[in-house]
Amino acid sequence: MTTHAPRRARFAMIALQEFRLLGREPALWMVGLLFLALVVYATVNGLAQTAARHAAQAAVQQADQSTRSAQRALLLRMLAGTDAPKPFENPANPAVMASSYGGSHALLPGIALAPVALGQSDLFPSQFKVTHQSRVVFMNPSDIESPWHLLSGHFDLAFVLIYVLPLLIFALSYNLLSGERESGTLRLLLSQPLHLRTLVAGKLAARAVALLLPSVVVPACVLLLARWWMGEPAGGGAGLLWWAALVGAYALFWFALVVAVNAFGASSATNAMVLVIAWVLLVLVVPVLLNLGVTTASPAPSRTELATRTRVVTAEAMSKHADLMSTDYQHVGRGALLLPKDGKIEIAGRALGNYRIQRDVDAAIQPDLDRFDRQSARQQALVARFAILSPAAVAYEGMTGLAGTGGRRHARFAEQTTQFHRQWKDFFFPRIDARAALSAEDFDAIPRFAWREEPPSVVRRHALVAVVQLLLPGLLLLLLATLRLRRFSVA
Amino acid sequence: MLRRIAAREFLERVRDGRLYWAGGLILALLLTALAVGFAHQRAAQAEQKAAQAMDYQDWLHQDHRHPHDAAHQGMHAFKPEPALSILDPGINPYIGSTIWLQAHRQSEVKFNPAQDATGLQRFGNLSVGWILQVLGPLLIIVLGFNAFAGEREQGILRQTLSLGVEPLRLLGGKALALAGCAGALLLPAALVAGAALAVVAEPGERADTLLRFAFLGLGYAAYLGIWIFVVLGVSAASRTSRVAITVLLALWIAQAVMAPRILSEASRLAHPSATRLAFNQALAADLKATSDRVWLQNFGTTERWGADVPLRQWGIALRLDDQASYPVYDRHFARLWDTWEQQQRLQEWSGLVVPVLSMRAFSMGLAGTDFAHHRDFAVAAEQHRRHIQDLMSADLVKHADPLGDQHFAYQASPELWASVPPFHYHKPRLGWALGRQALSLAVLCLGLVLAAAFAAAAVRRQSAL
Repeated sequence: MTTHAPRRARFAMIALQEFRLLGREPALWMVGLLFLALVVYATVNGLAQTAARHAAQAAVQQADQSTRSAQRALLLRMLAGTDAPKPFENPANPAVMASSYGGSHALLPGIALAPVALGQSDLFPSQFKVTHQSRVVFMNPSDIESPWHLLSGHFDLAFVLIYVLPLLIFALSYNLLSGERESGTLRLLLSQPLHLRTLVAGKLAARAVALLLPSVVVPACVLLLARWWMGEPAGGGAGLLWWAALVGAYALFWFALVVAVNAFGASSATNAMVLVIAWVLLVLVVPVLLNLGVTTASPAPSRTELATRTRVVTAEAMSKHADLMSTDYQHVGRGALLLPKDGKIEIAGRALGNYRIQRDVDAAIQPDLDRFDRQSARQQALVARFAILSPAAVAYEGMTGLAGTGGRRHARFAEQTTQFHRQWKDFFFPRIDARAALSAEDFDAIPRFAWREEPPSVVRRHALVAVVQLLLPGLLLLLLATLRLRRFSVA
Repeated sequence: MLRRIAAREFLERVRDGRLYWAGGLILALLLTALAVGFAHQRAAQAEQKAAQAMDYQDWLHQDHRHPHDAAHQGMHAFKPEPALSILDPGINPYIGSTIWLQAHRQSEVKFNPAQDATGLQRFGNLSVGWILQVLGPLLIIVLGFNAFAGEREQGILRQTLSLGVEPLRLLGGKALALAGCAGALLLPAALVAGAALAVVAEPGERADTLLRFAFLGLGYAAYLGIWIFVVLGVSAASRTSRVAITVLLALWIAQAVMAPRILSEASRLAHPSATRLAFNQALAADLKATSDRVWLQNFGTTERWGADVPLRQWGIALRLDDQASYPVYDRHFARLWDTWEQQQRLQEWSGLVVPVLSMRAFSMGLAGTDFAHHRDFAVAAEQHRRHIQDLMSADLVKHADPLGDQHFAYQASPELWASVPPFHYHKPRLGWALGRQALSLAVLCLGLVLAAAFAAAAVRRQSAL
């Protein structure tokens, strides 16, 4: 205790002194303010985009609800004999309600942390209109987005932290020891009762505080403030803590790299060059190569082939049900045929044919779609295994995982949509086969999509893995630095 | 003199190892990207051709069936992968390549490869275009940041100038040396790329592909030229090489890494595009209003399934509806696509201060992987769809049921299917692409002139004293 106390005091003294020195550097203030501006802009941009997505989803949900209410009201009027339906807009007809006319959206809601990493929210659909058609027809990207934007990517907080934070760490620390040595102050400092490691730790602590304040505390405050402003419940506290841990671990990796590079005793100029090369490799090149490696090792099945296969199975189904498709509509000029009678309803031959074709296509194409799902899972597993090669990739995957905008949550959404599609079919298909007219009670029992959020334990586990994947190389670098510092020459 | 300065500078870059290390890394990446691009292009092209042919064969081999059902099943148009996509895949990974030509509606492209990718897709695709646009300037910076500043620190610059060497000549020599270094790395890669392009290009398109490649080379030369002058200008204007590298790296990060995202967001704010729901609702409302107007004009009613329009008239009704819908689709899709093009144009203009944006547009434009090429394909596919619809409706009109209440009982024979030609897409030629890229090319050239003027001004301030 007695030996540690003075060391701690010296550490605090150095950290404070460094903090003061940093504060007196006008260039650093400028860079710091620029970084702060980028962080705030990115956070606000994330909030704005998330809010726009939320508003678009709310509009879809609203449109679904009002359409369903209007259909129900029409059904009641029909049953009361005060209105007549149109053939393709007949709420009593299960074949019509199962189709696009009655189709219902599956929506993936955003979570509290979504604004920090927009991730793949623009690449992966967050809404599907589920009908009796095959998944291959409706499970496609549904948002309108300029391909140029998709190519450019977002300017969100995850981008600023992953790309810019390391550079700022370099700007503040590339000459952590080399600068002191070059100006001759290192020798002077170490002639005091001060350990080199304490000096390094003190310097790092000051810089970490200076950087983590704008990178973690400011966005967290903006997020909480925005939620309060919009009157939303202040949830996502645990996620925010995990996110802070992730950013901290990511920053630690780069600080550790700076110390390790400094520990080799090269000049400040060399240190800067080595660090920038490391950044280019780890942030720009390795993730791109990793992407290439993953897609080469486990390529996605061909979508062109899927289109051809869909065509083939559709053609087979159409010729199988050709007789039904050649039936003419009996209801033209005879609207009474469209009304339910004794709980039954006449389903036109073509409508029946269409339903059977969709059913057969869906069943026939299922194995092909499963192949895509398996492949996607395999690719994700490869990313999880090899992302450790680039801390930027780990941090990105970790942040999108916490923000609910990554591949894992979207895969879960696709899976739940598939389940919902199954419920949809289970509800409508027997009724179509039995020509059972939909009643008001049936109407209320039409399946609705209810999103089941990822269990917090899964999110926590993945966040923990990401933090460990960042801490591990960081600690190894610190160990290397400690070993090198033992032989560090102050001259 | 110019040649001697250039030769000396070049030799220095070779001797200090920078050219080997930095250049070697870039060259290795370039060759890897070329190999990947080549393999991808060949596979995609072969698959597209096979799928397109099979699709048409399936169309021809349909049994006797109702023409409208055949139109509903339709055909697929598969976008051909241009030969130059081995260098720059552009927006292709984000937009998909299959369009379903079905009855009633203009389809959008399906199946973008990015939907089957992992989160790493966000870091970018390894392509020659990406390497040259993002890492190319960094290579120039590494090779040239101390061209003037380093010599000043060592006192060599003053000596050189005191010998009476013209500062501008010195700039010319150093620029030539940097261009030589870049050329020494890029020329072998360009030769490999040229050979690969000659192999993958379709026989009728080989000359056009190689001409496009030549222009692409010029565009990249202008882009890297801008960076050469910026690097030399900053090096001359900086007191020390440390200041020079700091300023240049900051410039590079702002340009290559941050600006594309910031300007992409800004262009979206300046020219917002509709949400899917809003687009669909507006389109559906316009289609409905147009269709009602046409029905009223021709049948005196808007009632679709009433006794006023018997089934034997449904061929005419379909034709009227289809033909009335064409201008509606044209209007709505043109509005959406024009918005995207306005967004892109804003970014191309930004190329004056952020050259990478002009370069990116020019590169994709010449490679045939930009939105203008995609739009051309989508329009051609839509024209083919309309041709199929018109042929099918004409046949229905011709075979309108004489009994009066039948429509779907009619089954066309395979001769009708054979009257539909296969979908042949003729890719736009170089002149067309250059016309669309005039702005980005002009911005790049202007950027080169401005960068050269900046470097000249910075170098002129050097004196022997």
